[in-house]
Formats: sequence, C-alpha cells, structure tokens
Amino acid sequence: MGHLNGEALARLVDEAPEPAERDHLASCDACAAELDALRAQTDNLGSLPELLPPQGDWQVLEARLRSEGLIKDPGLFARLGLAETPTWMRAAAAAVLFLGGAALGATVTSRGAQSRLAALEGDPIPEASVPSRARVQGPAKPASVDEAAATLHQAEQNYVNALARYRELVADRDQGRETDPRSRFAALEYLVAASQAAVRQAPTDPFLNGLLASTLAERQATLRRISTQQGNWF
Amino acid sequence: MTEAEIIQKAADGDARAVRALYDRYAPRVYAVVRRIAGDDELAQDYAQEAWIRAIRALPSFRGDARFSTWLHRIAVNAALQALRKAETRRRREGPVPEQVPVAPASGDALLQRKLEGALDRLPEGMRRVLILHDVEGYTHDEIGDVLGVAPGTSKSQLFKARAKMREMLTPLGGTTKDEGVEVWGI
Repeated sequence: MGHLNGEALARLVDEAPEPAERDHLASCDACAAELDALRAQTDNLGSLPELLPPQGDWQVLEARLRSEGLIKDPGLFARLGLAETPTWMRAAAAAVLFLGGAALGATVTSRGAQSRLAALEGDPIPEASVPSRARVQGPAKPASVDEAAATLHQAEQNYVNALARYRELVADRDQGRETDPRSRFAALEYLVAASQAAVRQAPTDPFLNGLLASTLAERQATLRRISTQQGNWF
Repeated sequence: MTEAEIIQKAADGDARAVRALYDRYAPRVYAVVRRIAGDDELAQDYAQEAWIRAIRALPSFRGDARFSTWLHRIAVNAALQALRKAETRRRREGPVPEQVPVAPASGDALLQRKLEGALDRLPEGMRRVLILHDVEGYTHDEIGDVLGVAPGTSKSQLFKARAKMREMLTPLGGTTKDEGVEVWGI
C-alpha cells in the first residue's frame, strides 16, 4: 500500500483506520508523523482564543439598538428611584441636565422665590423645603475644563435634588398625605430656575421653552392654591 | 444579579443589561463571526447583525439551552447568511497560497497567527466546515442543519479542509527555509 493521502489522514483524526491503513501506519513513519501533525493541528484549532471586537464596536451597536428601539436607557431618574416622576418633568430634567445651562451660563438663585413667597405669606420658606445646596448659581466663566465639569456636575446634582424633593411631595399628595404647598412651591421654583437657565443657553429651542412653560404653569397653580388656602391654612 | 435576571432585563430593553451581555459574550461572538467572515471589516458588520438579531429575539429565549449556546448559534447563522448574501460581491477572494510565510515569533502567538492566517485563506466551503467542526465543536449533523448540507458532505469538506490547512502550513519537502523567509510547520 502506498502512502495515505492528506484527506485519508485527515479522516483518521476522528475515525478508526481500516485494517490496511492501520498496517501502513504501523510501518510508515512519514504517514504516522503526518497523522500526528494533523491531530496537533486539530487540537490547536480547538484551542484558538476568543477575539476582541474592534474598539468602538459597542458604541456602534448601541446606536443601532437604540435606533431600532431595542434598548432604552433606564436613565438617571430610574437609577435614583424616581421612575414614577411625571413624564414632562423627567423630560425637562433630562434636557436641562444635557444642556448644562445651569452650570455654565446662568446666574439664577432661588432667593427671589423665597422673597416673593415670604412677601405673600409673611413667612420664610422652611429650610427643609429646598434641597441642601440647591441653588442654581451661575458662576463666572470656568477657569479650566475640570472646573467646568465640576460645576456642571454640581448643577446636575442640584437639579436632581430639586426634582427628588418635588417627587417626594407629589408622592405624598398621591398617597393622600397633606402636602405643604409652600414646600411644593419652593421645589417648583427651583425647577423653574434651572429650566430658565437652560432656556438661556438655547433661547429658541421650542422643546425647552415648552418645558419651562409647563413648569411655570405648575408653579402658578401651586401659587394659586397657596393664595386660596391662605385664609384657613394656619 | 444572575445571568437569568440580566437576560430578562435585557429582553425588556434595559440598556445596561444588554451592555452586560455584550461585555460577557462579545469576544466569543466576534471570534466565530470573524473566522467565518475571514475579514475584519465584514466581521464587524456580521457581529453587529448577530447582536441585533439576538437582542431582538431575546424575549423568545426560554432558557431551554444555555444562553451562550443560543447566542452562538445566532451568531453563526447571522454570519453565514450575511456571507451568502455577499458571496457575489466578495472582494477578499484571491489565489490560495501554497504556503503561509510568517515571521519568526514565539510560542502560542505565532501558532495562533499561523492558524488564523491559514483559515482566512481556505476556500469558502472548506473554511466554514472546518471552523464549525474543529474550532467551534459542532457535530456533522449540526453543521448539516446550519449549512443545509448532508452530514456526509460536511465530513468530506472537513477532511479536505484539514488537508489543505496542513498543506498551507507545511513547506513542501518539510524544509524550513524558503528564499530567506522562514515557514513554520506545525
């Protein structure tokens, strides 16, 4: 019997040899060595490692998944346990956070709200009504990228704090607990301030303007409630 | 969080859960798709397509098979289907070299490079069967299902592919020098 050809040897990697093949392999060092090499090749193929996808692969995939509506980001609010926040407020907050207007351009404080409400009621806003450090303050131009980033982060945090506070108040009302209108007003006032700051960054943006209008309307309604209740509130 | 929980969240469209699955399985998906495609650029497209299909089909995943197996099968099918579509306009085909010249390196990295290079140069039909059988561990019946061929055809292609790989990786006459470029046999 002549030498075994490549395909026959390749078959013998998996299958038992015919008697004639077995006899040949026993007497032919070249074919036996070739079969060993084919077995090694097969083993090595089975041990090939996984391969890393190219850089940026996830970003491309994520964009496609989003465009097809296959994924949705739980978002900051869900992560903060604020998933039940009214839709318009979540949208407003997202837009405001995205623009970072509060941090980088505006100089708005909630002091005006406090003074207006104090004038209305002759009573200061309770300290607990406004989230700690929850002032939308617009600093001077940042001196560095790091400073701008830190300021933006702080502004975002302030906004989220305000939203969280407002959400608590809405939840109280929804669960039948009496909500202090002054607290609601203060929280809304802060949201208005943040929204105004965003609109300053993009004054012609109809979406932001719409959100600001919604927030103002909500604040106005709260203010009316305070006015009508003023007589029997205390 | 267990994998089942991650899968459930991903099926509901949770971006972070999808990312978690991607991080865990992307190298495995990309590897099989890359080897079937035989081309980096095509591989990325095919891998993306595989993921899109998988995420789209996630709500139908019932856990009868392991998730990795289920995903792997989707990746293989996506790559094979895309390859068939692209068959007529393939730009990668060229003459199959008799040998694969490689620069000396050391250890497993060299061996892997040699094998990957030779795989890329195998004729299409042989490469698919060799990858599915010897690299991915499919049986001939499974390959028959995936490729739509008889198990006997799969076997025949496999033996040809192994022999062709061996030819490409081994210099004629067993020499180790060829005009100054070292050629390394296994």
